[in-house]
Amino acid sequence: MNRVQPRSFDARAAVVATLMFIVTVALLPLGAYLAMLISWIAVAVAGALIGIPPMRLARRGGIALPFVVAALPIVFLRTDEIVWSGAIGPLDLSISGAGIRIALSAVLKAWVSVQASIVLVTYVDAPAIVTALRRLRLPEALATSAGLTIRYLELLRDEARRMIRARTSRSASPLGVGRERVGGSIGWRARTTGNLVGALFLRAYARAQRIEEAAVSRGATGSLSVGTLPSPDSRLTVKVLASLLLVTAIWLCGALLPRL
Amino acid sequence: MHLPDGFLAPQLALALWVLTAVLVGISLRRLAAGEATHGATGRPILMGLVGAFIFAAQMFNFPVAAGTSGHLLGGVLAGYLLGPWAGTVVMTTVVGVQALLFQDGGLLALGANIFNMGILGTLGGSLTARALADAFGGRRGVGIAAAGVAGWLSVVTSAGVVTLQLGLSGTTDIAVGLPAMLGVHALIGIGEALITVAALTFIATTAPDILGAETDHQPSPLRRLVSGTSVVVVVIALAALFASTEPDGLNAVAAALGFSTREAEAPLNLFAGYAIPGLDGASSTIVAALIGASVIAGLLLGLTRLAKSRTLQK
Repeated sequence: MNRVQPRSFDARAAVVATLMFIVTVALLPLGAYLAMLISWIAVAVAGALIGIPPMRLARRGGIALPFVVAALPIVFLRTDEIVWSGAIGPLDLSISGAGIRIALSAVLKAWVSVQASIVLVTYVDAPAIVTALRRLRLPEALATSAGLTIRYLELLRDEARRMIRARTSRSASPLGVGRERVGGSIGWRARTTGNLVGALFLRAYARAQRIEEAAVSRGATGSLSVGTLPSPDSRLTVKVLASLLLVTAIWLCGALLPRL
Repeated sequence: MHLPDGFLAPQLALALWVLTAVLVGISLRRLAAGEATHGATGRPILMGLVGAFIFAAQMFNFPVAAGTSGHLLGGVLAGYLLGPWAGTVVMTTVVGVQALLFQDGGLLALGANIFNMGILGTLGGSLTARALADAFGGRRGVGIAAAGVAGWLSVVTSAGVVTLQLGLSGTTDIAVGLPAMLGVHALIGIGEALITVAALTFIATTAPDILGAETDHQPSPLRRLVSGTSVVVVVIALAALFASTEPDGLNAVAAALGFSTREAEAPLNLFAGYAIPGLDGASSTIVAALIGASVIAGLLLGLTRLAKSRTLQK
């Protein structure tokens, strides 16, 4: 598959641009669908420039969509701008135009914002994002903790996967999930899961001790630098100004173009 | 539970960012002060690994019945294992990494998500657990049981607070959402409590020294009294909040704050109602829709081609 490889460089401009963009999209007024369309086009163009086809990006942007459940009741509960009302069986239902506007705006904003952050993590690799945040004055303890979390994430997830496979083979999964036996009561299953969590913690703890010993033996003094700092971006100001221009344009579209 | 962007009113999201930044700042300061006295240079490495551990532990789904399972959130667990301050910093990074790398939760909504899971879940949860343990004598078994209770409370409280945040933003109806969310999460919270207790019991039996001397102590009578009183006050306050028979009051607050009202009409009316000038009514809307659809289709084709050429170059 021709996947795009995330790159490592001074990513401050990319991080700042993404954050500005997401804040701007969130600030768009309800029902500003034209402005949302324009901001989606901006993301799709950015995605295409780094090699993500827009349809794939749009599909992956769908991961926030299940959250629409939270906004769904409002469609039926608002009592203004009723567009349809009637009875389905014993239920008296009405659909509110204002409610639809709220729910649809929330979903579209979420969908565009998720695509923007997908573009960011496809373009820049995770350690470079942490380095950029560190340079943007993220507190050292947070940056170090995040950097190490990212570095050891796959390792511990892999351990967890192996433990889950072992648990499944030993029947702690309910009937019908690839098993014919049900293992124990709910309490028993919870204890099994808890034991796995505890065991995983002990492995993480032991590994932390090993890393600490290794770090000290190599002369570590307590301050940790995760990843090397790349050479600073010389065109940072220009890039940030350009993204400021873009988000201002989107904000103006939201304020001036007609809303539905 | 990870709020995506777009569901919270921006004013509320920004206010929660500020609140979260202040509270995480306090945690970082307390952590640095503690480090100076204990001289634990290896602390950052342990915190990073516990962050990765929480991530991985969230993969352990807890089979309740066929097709239904809950999973661990781990806020109180992290707080119990590392102490409230380091636990809060770890949960902050976990929620942040989930948002940045896995799009699990939005970036503008990240302040709210850290508040709901890191601050309420871990800081609030482990301080509650500590107060509960103090109130009941402070032995390790009691401490672990208290962590279980705090784990249940943390899940239910976060769910309630998320609903309140959505309600204040005008995105959900509190009167309908709150009972539903609290009901579901009262069940999910039981899974959280059971797993937290089982995990801590396992660690306490297998490697008792790791849990440290701090979790096994005899509090002074005064501390017991203060802790006991504050637990009772908090529980009563929460019960009053969630049992409140006036959720409409909250909806009224939301309306009064003006998050949910629609702003004024747009001044520039280029295509009034998405219609083409010169054509009438329905046919005009259909033509406008057709033009719009073909523009988008063309754009998609062009961008797909561009994306392919960009990938081939590399």
